[in-house]
Amino acid sequence: MNKCALNRDDWAAFLSGDLEEGERRTMAEHLEKCPDCRAAADEMRRVLEKTEAVKAEIRQAVASVNWEALPATVADRAFAASRKPERALPAARPWGWLSALWMKPALAGLAAGLVVGAATMYFVLKVPGPRSGQDTGYYASGDFLDRAELTMARRNTLDYLEKSQYVLLDVFESAGEGAAGPAVFNSEQARDLLSRKKYLNAQLERFQMAKAKAICDQIEMLFLELAQISGDLPAAELGRIRGFVEERQLLLKINLVKKELQSEI
Amino acid sequence: MKKFTVLIGLFFVLSAGSGLAAQTTPDETLFREAKLLVFDKSWEDALIKLDDLRENFPDSPFAGQALFYKGECLSGIGGREREALRAYKDYIRLTDAKASLIEESEGSIIDLAFGLYEKGDASALRDIEGRLGHENKVVRYYAAYKLSLVQDKKVAAKAAPVLMRIVETEKDPELLDRARIALLRVSPESLKSVEDRKPTPGSPRMLKIRVWNKGQKEPAFSLNIPWALADLALGAMDEEDKAAIRKKGYDLNKIMNELAKSKESILRIVGDDGSIIEIWIE
Repeated sequence: MNKCALNRDDWAAFLSGDLEEGERRTMAEHLEKCPDCRAAADEMRRVLEKTEAVKAEIRQAVASVNWEALPATVADRAFAASRKPERALPAARPWGWLSALWMKPALAGLAAGLVVGAATMYFVLKVPGPRSGQDTGYYASGDFLDRAELTMARRNTLDYLEKSQYVLLDVFESAGEGAAGPAVFNSEQARDLLSRKKYLNAQLERFQMAKAKAICDQIEMLFLELAQISGDLPAAELGRIRGFVEERQLLLKINLVKKELQSEI
Repeated sequence: MKKFTVLIGLFFVLSAGSGLAAQTTPDETLFREAKLLVFDKSWEDALIKLDDLRENFPDSPFAGQALFYKGECLSGIGGREREALRAYKDYIRLTDAKASLIEESEGSIIDLAFGLYEKGDASALRDIEGRLGHENKVVRYYAAYKLSLVQDKKVAAKAAPVLMRIVETEKDPELLDRARIALLRVSPESLKSVEDRKPTPGSPRMLKIRVWNKGQKEPAFSLNIPWALADLALGAMDEEDKAAIRKKGYDLNKIMNELAKSKESILRIVGDDGSIIEIWIE
């Protein structure tokens, strides 16, 4: 085999079909005539076939590595290992197969090549693209989240004002002239609106929605009073609440702020 | 009897506002006048009346509630946050404290603690963190929401378990959206894991938007968010981008519906300035 003048570096290229046509023909003709080279080439083909199977596993293993966190993990382990007391090696070592590679530099080189190749392939595939299948995590910029919260603040304030209006109108309707019985005020509704208002407080202040905040604060105080009462309210009492709300023009203010918010959404 | 007293109380609060005269005891009068001042945000004047009530009528049935309103006044005045915190905490400890006012006090404590933290007192966050395990879910949720706004991401991430629980269990869309946005801020991977666990057969999971400025390889704007926030995302899109889409004659809501149906399609809009907007759903 050593007598042959053919470049053995070309064998891998020949076996994987990467040789140019002229070189491929020369190599094929030679292998037909030379049994030593044919035997060596067959052996190499078998090795390459096996590595194909291993390649997929290596790619899978490499893909599962968090490359961003890897340096930190390696450093952590190195420091942790340096703190650990030395132990005797166990009898059966899971990395025993490495010694086989140690004994066979050619196989070690091949394995290293496969790892490096698979890792390179991984990085090529990992380049973020607009429709890359690997781009599956959630992310949004702080600026976007702020704008989303502003949109949410406007919608929720509008919703809060509408619900408050319904609650107040409902109470006033039932306390109107000719009402058969006492008005019913649902203190649970008031408490629900109060809990919503907590979230609005932060947003209204943050986004400087002063007018909306002022009216929401007034409604909050009213509901704070009403939330402490449950059950039926005598018509006379409700009439007085209505008088108070009318005097402060609360419903008119609610409508004005609602209009403003609707135009901004 | 208690309910009747409260009703009478409300009657006089409101009658005082509409100028009706009524016979009340001096402590009641003081308390109602103070509450009207609180309503009008006349914090200083209200505080004087509340202090007067607590000092001269310590055994009054209104003395306890006066503590809560004192907290409101001190919060409103500004610069007296620590006193306000103390007032709310004192109110919560009262045996006759009302459930609705306790809930309000807890919320105010969280707000005040956050305000102190923003002014440089990091230890104030203990009051928020301590409420992440509160028995009342309204308090627990609010504490998590506020903690998510803390600049220090390590601290803010402590809110993640409660926020994840909201996304997992709550039905209220307002609460859900808030929790999702808060999780996007502090721990997008936690949001991903909780959204992935939710069974949504056949429906889209993620909305992706990219905006490229002319001649640039990297997108100027990238967004991957849960499909549930799509509507909010469109509302929050930059006005210029929205205008570019409108100019091309597209109705964003219609587009989103179509994208949601087809799932595979990608909307690609090239603006007059050469910028490119791509929207798609996975």
